[in-house]
Amino acid sequence: MALKGAGFERKSKASDKIPSSSLADIAFLLLIFFMVTTVFRSESERPIEWPEAAATQQIDEKRDNIMYVWLERNGDVYMNDRLIPMEDVATMVAPAWEQSGRRLVISLRADALVPYRHVDLVQEQLKRSGAVYVVFATDLERRMTRERR
Amino acid sequence: MAILNKKSKISDEIPSSSMADIAFLLLIFFLVTTVFPRDRGLRVVLPEEAEEVEVSQRNILHIHVWPDGLVRLTRGESTDVSVITPRQVEQVWRTEVGANPNLIAGVKTHPEAAHRYMIQVLDALQLAGASRISLQLLEE
Repeated sequence: MALKGAGFERKSKASDKIPSSSLADIAFLLLIFFMVTTVFRSESERPIEWPEAAATQQIDEKRDNIMYVWLERNGDVYMNDRLIPMEDVATMVAPAWEQSGRRLVISLRADALVPYRHVDLVQEQLKRSGAVYVVFATDLERRMTRERR
Repeated sequence: MAILNKKSKISDEIPSSSMADIAFLLLIFFLVTTVFPRDRGLRVVLPEEAEEVEVSQRNILHIHVWPDGLVRLTRGESTDVSVITPRQVEQVWRTEVGANPNLIAGVKTHPEAAHRYMIQVLDALQLAGASRISLQLLEE
């Protein structure tokens, strides 16, 4: 009977196992990374239909400096999970605008089908509060054929 | 003491082989529950209150958005109205701004027009690189 390994005895002391002791360290590192980078939402989303736009861009502003104004299809305005009368929007936004050092960005999350007069009223309120940086929240539209010159 | 030799086969080390499993479980939990914020949209800067600027009619491209989603376009003082789709605004703006670099887009939206039609026009203008855009309510 032939010798196992054709007579060559295995003498290497190197283990043939993948070292798994550091696996936990790697996993914990990833875990801590995700825990640190996770930002919990402070307010829940309203059920709206998002308008689509191809020119949609990311807001490059700190999260603390972004304020959401939800505008539902029937013209209801929600801020911080509360229904706000239209004429109170300015008084809600103004303190936040001053506090942010005039950097506050208003993310206006209006339903795609809300009549424009409501959107106009919100804009008037925002002008009155002083907050001039507004982002009309949209979803990125992916066009199949882009008409380019 | 000498007789009490350790004979137990139970290891005195805390088993660390399952540590990775626990860590990965937590990791996957956080990955699944994380919701990334959807902070994106079309940027505009509103004019400050009582900030009214006189603009020559020659430099305004009137873009009227109607409830049917179509756009009525008039150039400056001219009374010719052309009806186009919001997407065509992009093309029109490029041509018009080539002829007059001081052009301002005066977007007026009908009170009953859906918000998304205004967004489509704004989208087209921003794609065409327009920066001077005025958003107003269309008064009949």
